[in-house]
Amino acid sequence: MGLSDGIGFKALTDRVQYPNLSQFERPNVITTTVDFIFSWARSHSVFPFTYGLACCAIEMLSSGFARFDVARYGMEVFRPTPRQCDLMIVAGTVNEKMAPVLKRLYEQMSEPKWVIAMGACATSGGPFYDGYNVVNGVDKVVPVDVYIPGCPPRPEALFQGLLELQKKIQTMHIVPPVPTGAVRPQTAAGPAVTGPAAAGPDAPAVVAPDAPGGATPDKVRG
Amino acid sequence: MLPAIGSAGLAIDDVADRLVAALGADLADVRVQEPDTVVAAVERGRLHDVAVALRGLDGLAYESCNFVAAVDHVSRFECVYHLYSFASNTYLELHVEVPRADPSVATVSDVWPAADWHEREAWDMMGIRFEGHPDLRRILLRDDWVGHPLRKDYVDTIDNHPHV
Repeated sequence: MGLSDGIGFKALTDRVQYPNLSQFERPNVITTTVDFIFSWARSHSVFPFTYGLACCAIEMLSSGFARFDVARYGMEVFRPTPRQCDLMIVAGTVNEKMAPVLKRLYEQMSEPKWVIAMGACATSGGPFYDGYNVVNGVDKVVPVDVYIPGCPPRPEALFQGLLELQKKIQTMHIVPPVPTGAVRPQTAAGPAVTGPAAAGPDAPAVVAPDAPGGATPDKVRG
Repeated sequence: MLPAIGSAGLAIDDVADRLVAALGADLADVRVQEPDTVVAAVERGRLHDVAVALRGLDGLAYESCNFVAAVDHVSRFECVYHLYSFASNTYLELHVEVPRADPSVATVSDVWPAADWHEREAWDMMGIRFEGHPDLRRILLRDDWVGHPLRKDYVDTIDNHPHV
């Protein structure tokens, strides 16, 4: 799920197209996709998990207060329980004793969920790289979406990380990607199924997506 | 330098003299560290008795154990107890040598409850056993950690890093 998973993150984010705001004028009706509505709502109401472990937590707190004001991005509701969160900002040094706890808390978060590694320690161990008790990067324990460099990063850097995460969230799909023009065989037994295995001998030809990312987002969005 | 006069009106040299008078047989290498600290060495086997006596010393009761340190001198270990006397507003630094072959010393957590966690940390980091301690578990590292990492001869093992 990390940025380095080779999905062409930049290319995807470049294709995200918001409807023109003028469409919000009369007659108060817009036509758009389910994907857009969900990703728009999700990316603008991220609930971060209060996971401050070291001095990065001070910058994270500072981000929440009036001077920097993370509320501008709709991400100000820091929750103390993982069950109400979808973003874990790992702000600080993770040690070997904390690692299993961090993993359990991550698993208690409900899907979809994201992780930001804030600062040098959470990214790679930072100045404690050679320490006997330091996990060299939180990505050894949980999958990380955005890495923020700095020791500690200023609130502005955290905001840039949050905005990069917003872009990433906006590339997510609620509807599974299907190539344009694909035929979904409709059976009485259940919902639509795609793929060669679902097609009977008399069924029309089905073009199965060759890969989960086979459909280009702009085609899906019409 | 501030004069180290506590509520008992004792200068630090007087405190050292009183300590030698009361516990002279057990204290070795007594010296004064200006402005307010007396440093002394204690035999390992006498530590607990000395601790009880120090805590009950009339007018000079060392009622507070600020911290317990452990030092690795390679050939031997050393435990250092920093004690504080509210009555005289002075500190006492007790040094106890611990042989490397048998790294154990009597606990003082029954004399000063504050020593409980400090002794657990000394066990965790330096591997010094405190005999009679009520709950001598690791305090900072995981329970299944192998070795005591602040020892000079500590060698880290991959078993301690399941996430790498």
